[in-house]
Amino acid sequence: MFAALARRLAGMLIVMFIVATMVFFLTRLAPGDPAALMLGEQASLADVAELRKTYGLDQPVIVQYALWLKELLRGNLGQSIFLQRPVIVAIAERAEPTFFLALLSILVATAIGVPAGIASAVWRGRASDQAVSGGAMLAASIPSFWLGLIFIQFFAVRLGWFPVAGYGPPGASFAERLYHLMLPASVLGIVNSALITRFTRASMLDVLNEDYVRTARAKGLSEARVILRHGLGNALVPIITVVGLTAALLVGGAIVTETVFGLPGIGNLVVSAVLRRDYPVIQGALIVIAGIYVLINFSIDVMYTLVDPRVKY
Amino acid sequence: MTKSRHPQFLQLGLSRREVGGLALGAATIAAFIGSKGASAQAANSLNLAMIGEPQTLDPMASTADLPSLIMMHVYESLYTFDQKLNARPMLAVEMPKVSADGLTYDIDIRKGVKLHSGRDLDVEDVIASLKRWIEMTPRGKSVGAALVSIDAKGTHGLTIKLKSPVPALVTHMALPSGYAAIMAKESIATPLVNYIGTGPYRFKERKPDQFVILTRFDGYSARSEAPDGYAGKREAKVAELRFIPVPNANTRVEGAIAGQYHFADQLPVEAFRRVTDSGSAKPILMMPYGFPYLVTNTKQGLFADKKIRQAFQLALNEGEMLGAAFGDEKFYRATPAHFPQSSPFHSMAGEKVYNKADAAGAKKLLAEAKYDGTPVRILNSKQYEFHHAMALVMAENLKAAGFKTQLDVVDWATLVQRRADPALYEVYITHSSFYPEPMLSPPQLGAGAPGWWDSPAKNAAISAFNAESDPVKRGALWAKVQEVVYDEVPYIRVGEFAALCAGSMRLTGYVPMPMPAFWNVSLG
Amino acid sequence: MSAMTARSPVRLFLQRLFRRKLVLVAVIILLVIVLLAILAPWISPYSPTGMRVSQRLRPPSLTNWFGTDEFGRDVLTRIIYGGRASLGIGVAVVMCTMLAGTVLGLIAGYFRALDAVIMRLVDAMMSLPDILLAIFLVAVLGASAGNVVLALSIVYTPRVTRVVRSSTLVVRELPFVEAARALGVSTWRIMTMHILLNVASPILVQATFIFAYAVLAEAGLSFLGAGVPPDIPTWGTMIAAGQQYADRAVWLVLFPGLAIVFAALSLQLLGDGLRDMLDPKLRKAL
Repeated sequence: MFAALARRLAGMLIVMFIVATMVFFLTRLAPGDPAALMLGEQASLADVAELRKTYGLDQPVIVQYALWLKELLRGNLGQSIFLQRPVIVAIAERAEPTFFLALLSILVATAIGVPAGIASAVWRGRASDQAVSGGAMLAASIPSFWLGLIFIQFFAVRLGWFPVAGYGPPGASFAERLYHLMLPASVLGIVNSALITRFTRASMLDVLNEDYVRTARAKGLSEARVILRHGLGNALVPIITVVGLTAALLVGGAIVTETVFGLPGIGNLVVSAVLRRDYPVIQGALIVIAGIYVLINFSIDVMYTLVDPRVKY
Repeated sequence: MTKSRHPQFLQLGLSRREVGGLALGAATIAAFIGSKGASAQAANSLNLAMIGEPQTLDPMASTADLPSLIMMHVYESLYTFDQKLNARPMLAVEMPKVSADGLTYDIDIRKGVKLHSGRDLDVEDVIASLKRWIEMTPRGKSVGAALVSIDAKGTHGLTIKLKSPVPALVTHMALPSGYAAIMAKESIATPLVNYIGTGPYRFKERKPDQFVILTRFDGYSARSEAPDGYAGKREAKVAELRFIPVPNANTRVEGAIAGQYHFADQLPVEAFRRVTDSGSAKPILMMPYGFPYLVTNTKQGLFADKKIRQAFQLALNEGEMLGAAFGDEKFYRATPAHFPQSSPFHSMAGEKVYNKADAAGAKKLLAEAKYDGTPVRILNSKQYEFHHAMALVMAENLKAAGFKTQLDVVDWATLVQRRADPALYEVYITHSSFYPEPMLSPPQLGAGAPGWWDSPAKNAAISAFNAESDPVKRGALWAKVQEVVYDEVPYIRVGEFAALCAGSMRLTGYVPMPMPAFWNVSLG
Repeated sequence: MSAMTARSPVRLFLQRLFRRKLVLVAVIILLVIVLLAILAPWISPYSPTGMRVSQRLRPPSLTNWFGTDEFGRDVLTRIIYGGRASLGIGVAVVMCTMLAGTVLGLIAGYFRALDAVIMRLVDAMMSLPDILLAIFLVAVLGASAGNVVLALSIVYTPRVTRVVRSSTLVVRELPFVEAARALGVSTWRIMTMHILLNVASPILVQATFIFAYAVLAEAGLSFLGAGVPPDIPTWGTMIAAGQQYADRAVWLVLFPGLAIVFAALSLQLLGDGLRDMLDPKLRKAL
């Protein structure tokens, strides 16, 4: 088992290496010049060239890559060109809204998806099952930014229940910041509930056909108890898996929602860094986002191995 | 004040006129609209919606507007401008004593001015700051080229010696972009970490894409003269300034109307009506704010031929370009003059070729130059909606005159890179803020700027202008330079445009200046 | 079911597909949207670019069913034309991903030596969220309709690769493929004829889903300004341009969004229907 996990760990490192390399070279392939942007209109071409030198952008790309990789292996993501701080600090500053947005969204998605999935499985084939499946499809067909705009118009502008955008004024309390996340988290929760609904339904169907569930029923246990205790209890692992993966993808994938709601999260950091050609920030942020995904994936594998020793790689 | 408020625009902030759908423009990055907390706390603080995130907070590290706009509340300079854009002393006691040959400047610094660190400002701080400015900034470098020495004279005086006259020296030191900020000498470092100046506000906190906060500096030493533009007495009437990046222009408009922002910078001119009608915010118009200009590639390709550049100039309908870009005439003016009538540099040189839309004349020039149908590559960016609007009209004008055209629309980060390569374009579109003094903008008047303009006529006209310090003669010599610009077409100044901002009805004491300043401003 | 046996395979296929009424509805909606897009120049009530400033921001009415936009252009007309670009991009992405993903998946599934390389690349691509990777790629390539197709194709190819590879792994061990190999049939022939035919159903299912994702992703990219240039009407660029009027003219945002929802929903329902029908295991579950 440990050998298998070690192999899995090695595979993970290779994937991260590929991500790092891919991101670095793609970043450099993009047209645009951060030095010229930094200096503004009055700077001469010589000034721009000089600043490029300060950032090491005048060196051959392959040399830049080697230097960057060396620092990366030491855990150093480099220094932002525009933010006057280490990349890791810039990311850490953005982590809070992104983290809580992902967390709240997952709560919403789970609160919708798991009960809907169970209901759909229990009443398989009936109208309610069809309705839930259709509803899940519908949720997965809604562009999150559009739902965000509509929610803003309705709940924030018309009804005034929620703030239109932002993460609270400077110095806002934690409660106030969370309040600013309610609307975006609902949007992401709804859109992401589809996958959780479908997974819950499928795993519940598998489990409900198992002998021990029939046995439990035969023993005269109440239907609710059978479904929740024996059914859901045993279907939990795949459900947790899909919840975990959804959470992982939300770290970078909430980018559009962060933009619509003006949340200063990691997605927004990447977008502004791309626009400014802040190479170290683009590279660092994408590596961190990919790293989180890969790690959560790995943890899920470990969890499977622990829960179900039959799982092999 | 340079165009740069935009170039960076980095944030896509784009500047005025971006249309909402634009790019990330859509990003309402740190809009606080709707948040009740913001206005509740506002009594003693100002929420100021800026067009984007500053490139840096080191005012010498960029010529972009945003760093200077924010940091001029923190750092003061030796000189500054009054409302008519005349230079006035700030940290200097009075205007410098200049020797008859224009080569020696004696400057006295005010005594007892407190730095944010609590210490008194002395000449060592000033010299260290000026040296940094001369090393780091384009304007400083141009002064540096003529510099012999800067020496202390006692604890509060200094002497600047020059090889050749620099008539614009005081203006250079007064301009708040890439500016000669005076810093505590022990804080000087690159990159700058501690922002210690003498201004009415001190730096408190920066959270990128969320805010930069400045707080009142209680030990501020104000001048005694009445306020006039940036000059005279400065007083921090509001305890806290919060500069909030709001790249989406529409969000700035809505936020100002909703009362979340006490000031919103650089709004699309279409918002004028909406702000006026709102009853909750008032429009603030600054005209002229700046000028769009088209830089030609004089080094390589089609436009290396002066005749073809002249044909290009003759073909353009500048009035129509400005109309497409800015709509109502309240917001723009088509004029060949580079300086307004009130300026000693006013000249109508060029009126025979400016705004002519003379397709026939252009065709004739093209025939003489044996134009072979090579397309004119127009490099422009949609990130400034008004750049792109001008490009579209321009292409139509050129086609009418028999040019072939090619619109290369790229994002701003790409444009600033491509314009450095003479193989890639014939003309690119940008803009600048208006400066009271020639030679400050556009950079094509100097050396080493994109477009690579360099000719005997340019060098003769410009060195004659630069060598003269008599204000009367300088006016005539500038007219000469302007004539050469219209003859050789290294760039075309399309006209002038206004900046529209919005301020809360409760805002008092705000004086429209090219770059907004918030000392002496209070909330009624 | 016995009455059906005499019917043609196509009818049988459709009959089974439409056993779920929802799938039938989805296909009808999809056909309507596609037909509208194809016939746009002949059926649109107005010109998609014709500006009538005097008519700007008019709410939905009998003359302009979906209202007019900030230039007085008819929103319905622009949605019909927008379908051309939005669906066109979707179709192009589907074709590119199918081609690239199938080739890569077959190679990975059949040639074990290349499997590790290809699948690590696939893992790397899939470790970044779709939309983030797409934005990044468009920044590298430059914003244009063609580059949006390219970027989205790169983003979705790994999904197809995975599906084709795992199906290939199963099929290559099946008796008839082994038999063919034993008979000396060339590798190329085995791959194209035997394996490809057998993995066609999962590819088809994937294709409909990727179509839906591509329509959604294109809208997201355009909304972020990293997509199709704003002067080409797509559903995404319409929402992006309309959002600043959302408080006064919600129809500018509402209707293009509904068009996206209908298109994506009908595609996903169709994909779901196909999957139920083609995957025997799932069919049992139903």
